[in-house]
Amino acid sequence: MDIFVTGIGAISCIGNNVQEHFDALIAERSGIKKGLHPHSERFLVGEVPMTNEELTSHFQLKANGSRTGILGCIAAKEAFSGHMLHHTIRTGVISGTSVGGMDISETEYRSYIENQVHAISRYKQHPSGNSSEEIARELGIDGFVNTISTACSSAANAIMMGARMIRMGLLDRVVVGGTDALTEFTISGFRSLMIFDEEWCRPFDETRKGLNLGEGAGFIVIESAESIAWSGGKAIAKLKGWSNASDAYHQTASSPDGYGATLSISEAMKVANLKPEDIDYINAHGTATPNNDLSESKAIMNVFGKNVPPFSSTKAFTGHTLAAAGGLEAVFSVLAIRNGCLFANLNHRNVIEETQLMPVTRTTNVERVRNVLSNSFGFGGNNSTIIVGEL
Amino acid sequence: MPAVIKSIVSIGHQDSFQKHDLWETIQPLAEHSQVIAPDYKAYISPASLRRFSPVLRMALTAAQVCQNETEVPFDAVSVGTSLGCLKDTERFLQTFITATGDTLSPTAFIQSTHNTIAGAISMALGNHSYNMTHTQNSLSFETALIDGLLCIREGKQNVLVGAADEAIEFLDLLKPEVVRSGLQFTSGATFLSIQPEKPGSGRRIVDCMVHFNNEHTEASIAAFLEKNNIDGSAIELVLFAGEIPSSTGVKQINYEQYTGLYYSSAAFACHLANDYALPEGKYALIVNHQVKGKLGLTLVG
Repeated sequence: MDIFVTGIGAISCIGNNVQEHFDALIAERSGIKKGLHPHSERFLVGEVPMTNEELTSHFQLKANGSRTGILGCIAAKEAFSGHMLHHTIRTGVISGTSVGGMDISETEYRSYIENQVHAISRYKQHPSGNSSEEIARELGIDGFVNTISTACSSAANAIMMGARMIRMGLLDRVVVGGTDALTEFTISGFRSLMIFDEEWCRPFDETRKGLNLGEGAGFIVIESAESIAWSGGKAIAKLKGWSNASDAYHQTASSPDGYGATLSISEAMKVANLKPEDIDYINAHGTATPNNDLSESKAIMNVFGKNVPPFSSTKAFTGHTLAAAGGLEAVFSVLAIRNGCLFANLNHRNVIEETQLMPVTRTTNVERVRNVLSNSFGFGGNNSTIIVGEL
Repeated sequence: MPAVIKSIVSIGHQDSFQKHDLWETIQPLAEHSQVIAPDYKAYISPASLRRFSPVLRMALTAAQVCQNETEVPFDAVSVGTSLGCLKDTERFLQTFITATGDTLSPTAFIQSTHNTIAGAISMALGNHSYNMTHTQNSLSFETALIDGLLCIREGKQNVLVGAADEAIEFLDLLKPEVVRSGLQFTSGATFLSIQPEKPGSGRRIVDCMVHFNNEHTEASIAAFLEKNNIDGSAIELVLFAGEIPSSTGVKQINYEQYTGLYYSSAAFACHLANDYALPEGKYALIVNHQVKGKLGLTLVG
């Protein structure tokens, strides 16, 4: 059964909508800069440069809860624009998030610790499930709602869950992706792990030191052929493959041989029924941590051998947007296919000695991009791969 | 598609761990009741045990026993948690809010993500299969179970489904403004292995469904039974949380009197349904209406 992509939506530090993302990717313009808030000003981060109030009013949202929910509503609304609701089309929302309403809880909890007044009612926004319910409300969808929380692979897993439910006939159409706000909690967390780079991150570079964090949301709308016949939705790409596998190695680090990632990449290709030579571009997870990029490179080499397709990480544009990354990168995968482009792996100078793998360093026009493989790997050894293909 | 319950293990405020029939031991929770913990040392390495929060200990032990009882490795793991690893989340909040120097201990952060539970299970079991974490407020267990049933439909042979949540003292501050329930916040983990149905293979999860923005509980229950070709009169037992219409089922039991309050307690109700002596051709229905407007329906037979 074919699963079609009929809508895309994105917000991050490089743009408020898909077109602005595409323009930035073409212009090789990163959105990572010195943080705007007390908790982020010491770091280079990819922040959306608007307050919650500004976002709510600019995008005319009903949502006014957590920043995670607000960002999610913006991207999901763009992806779903032009789609009609009809009771014959069973429509769902499946969204990934890692922090949920932590942006609110951490502010209130600080007041609590410091014996200041804290607004108990604000903790209502804390549960991660709320951000997805908020998105469903914003879009007027009253069907199935589901939140996936597998850290940095959350959005890819949400996309996978949606595809599986359509394939098994449980849903006809699903808004899938992920959203995460940049919080003090995550900044402190990654600081405690000591995997920040104080300079701009350099994915797949021998001298890479770590990541830059970001925030945002990326959503796609997927539906079956029957659903499109009803909805009149316009197919722009296909979702062809997906997989999730466990590395079962370490709670935060990837195995040196990339075992889990190798499993997820090869299984996704099996689901898509594609051979290695059918993949024209890999949008890598490529967080620019020493550990991830080496492990991911090994996994790619395990599957593709000497014929590694053109690959890049777009994390140096957006920062690592955690649970949103797989959603944003699914949007980028669709853009690569629709426009025949491979996106730049910014800030790259030296190949990793051990692998000698050279990413795409400039955004490049090519004749055709048939299939894009996109990786997302999370804490807990959670490895996910999706494959987006041309119609 | 139905699936057979091959093994089911609960740890929580009841004396439930490795009991053959929960109905023989359960009692309505007394005030200030505590988790009745098994001897974790038998299941978790000393190094992990020192690091692990209660929810991780409970979940990992329950999962480990399910694995021991089913022998073949799981080919998928699907976990539901409503609020995730609250203790480590709070611990890390305290860590960075009160930190004075530049270095922070990462342990609490590492263990604060919702999928720490499922991730720790994959590591402890050396399991490389599909590994998912669902978090959907009061329907977290049901969404994890729907995924598990989907895995069975896709051809998986032995799927671990579970739910785990933990209480921290801070939650009490949320009453009554955010949480109106008069029940005590509690902790609990229930894990079950499900397998494809074979003739005569025992107690089954027949179906599971969730509804959001639901104002028609009675109609939704009727539609759910009809979808499964089951007459209302075949429902022997209704295990419920929250308000439900009075007309459903022969016997109605509020399962929250046994679980206390955590938002994936429908998994424990599933264990109760598994252990209930159902006459041939009769079913138990779990109606999770813990939160108004959100409805989880699980049919066990």
